[in-house]
Amino acid sequence: MDASNTIVRVENLVKDFRPGLGLRRKRVLHGISFEVQEGEIFGFVGPNGAGKTTTLKILMDLIRADEGRASILGSDVGETAFRRHVGYLPENPYFYDYLTGRELLHFYARLSGVTAGRRAGRVDALLRLVGLSHASDARLRTYSKGMLQRVGIAQALVHEPKVIFLDEPMSGLDPIGRKEVRDLILRLRNEGKTVFMSTHILPDVEMTCDRVAIIVNGRIRHESAIDQIFADSEREADLVLANLPPEIPGQLEEVFGVTLRGHGDRIEVRVREKDVQGVLQSALAVGAQVISVTPHRVSLESIFLNVVEEGSR
Amino acid sequence: MIDRIWTIATNTVREAIRSKLLYVLLGFAILVILSGIVVGSLSYVESARILQDVGLAAIRISGVAIAIFVGVSLIHAEVDRRTIYTILAKPISRGEFLLGKFLGLVMTTWLQMTVMVVFFVAVSLLTGAPVTLTHGAAILLICVELTLMVAIATFFSAFTTPMLATFFSIGVWVVGCLTRNLRDLGAVSDVDSVRLTTVWLHRILPDLASFNLSIEAVHGLPISAADVWLPLVYGVGYAAIVLVGAMAIFERRDFR
Repeated sequence: MDASNTIVRVENLVKDFRPGLGLRRKRVLHGISFEVQEGEIFGFVGPNGAGKTTTLKILMDLIRADEGRASILGSDVGETAFRRHVGYLPENPYFYDYLTGRELLHFYARLSGVTAGRRAGRVDALLRLVGLSHASDARLRTYSKGMLQRVGIAQALVHEPKVIFLDEPMSGLDPIGRKEVRDLILRLRNEGKTVFMSTHILPDVEMTCDRVAIIVNGRIRHESAIDQIFADSEREADLVLANLPPEIPGQLEEVFGVTLRGHGDRIEVRVREKDVQGVLQSALAVGAQVISVTPHRVSLESIFLNVVEEGSR
Repeated sequence: MIDRIWTIATNTVREAIRSKLLYVLLGFAILVILSGIVVGSLSYVESARILQDVGLAAIRISGVAIAIFVGVSLIHAEVDRRTIYTILAKPISRGEFLLGKFLGLVMTTWLQMTVMVVFFVAVSLLTGAPVTLTHGAAILLICVELTLMVAIATFFSAFTTPMLATFFSIGVWVVGCLTRNLRDLGAVSDVDSVRLTTVWLHRILPDLASFNLSIEAVHGLPISAADVWLPLVYGVGYAAIVLVGAMAIFERRDFR
């Protein structure tokens, strides 16, 4: 994709915080750079305290970078006019709890410049979309955490933004709610929106994101397309065998370099994809029983753990 | 821009209307105004004046109390509860947000003033106390004073905690009520530094005594047009300068 399709551009962002009243400063972002392209779902992943929320707050101009530059839709993040096209859901959002869900969405719609004629229809549609029509006239102080998360997503979408920033969007949601949000994010992509999602729930990233950046200790340690991660990773399979003669496990370990784990008369073994046939033939030749063969793909989690471990050294 | 500021302002009024603090302070003020009837009845000759003295003082003090106690948490609460995150992510500048909050609280204090003034006029007319144009001028200048106090509370709220902001705002109000007296006292001092200090205190801190026409109103003393428009311009100008300072500080803040 060429540069004209870049929706978010972050260049060498540096941010220092003063932990207390002293002069000592702690660097939380060490010159991070990345880009988000139009129409993609970008996963911004990292452990707690890695700098995800700080980066998002710089993008939302809630805090200012000490060095570097960040732009959204070609505008510097310090400007305000382009925010008409930006939606944002913060982590653990809190809203005016004296307002009803409907009043809150009207409030944000007005702030975002949604015309009076379109406001009511847009608010109703969003309340339906996030499943809050039944509670639209209840005060937010009566909402559960999951309902607040839903109304938070609705306010981020109320002005039909081109790009949406979601900080831990699945937080506080039950499994059904999480699936609904995942579906919603995928639907946004199908509508041509760009989604920037900060999270540490890796299965959600695997299921929704097109590209991922992993941030550890304020540095981007890994950035690639999700498909590329899986294409590059070595495929494996988990075999469960039974009735193996006692001398066979040792031979398999020696020939194929695998490690076996025993459970009673059953042996479990993880084998590289190219060795699956060889191991199965060897086992069947000595009268072993094949209980199961489960293809196994290296998950984002294992990559994430490796990156975090390397980044922490 | 106007629409965004107005959206924040009307929401601030809605928040105040739905909060208990406003009703407690308003109820207390109305009680004090009504108590003027009892206090006034203790005097045979000055009952009307005492009633109106107590009434105007109640309007002023409770107005200042709302301006300070609601104003000091105006911005801090937004940051503390993180409601500001989703608002500033919308196409609204920090300056517009701060102006909207200020305007909302000013409208709230004026709304509260309207209720109290209705009670004040009703009690005055029921007890036969006169209500003149000077009373109107006195109430107008109380409104200006409240606007200035909201600006000062907003200023402190933009960068410090509600407790410190309350402390600073009350301090400014108390000293502001006395700067004119301090200047007059300093003028008769033989020490140059004392004279200079009191003059500069009067110049820098708000001269809140200039907004007080209660004595003229209650005692039916004559006032000139300048007694009204000069404090009006002074108060609006002072509030504008304080707000510019608040916006400059607010613009530089990090919301962590």
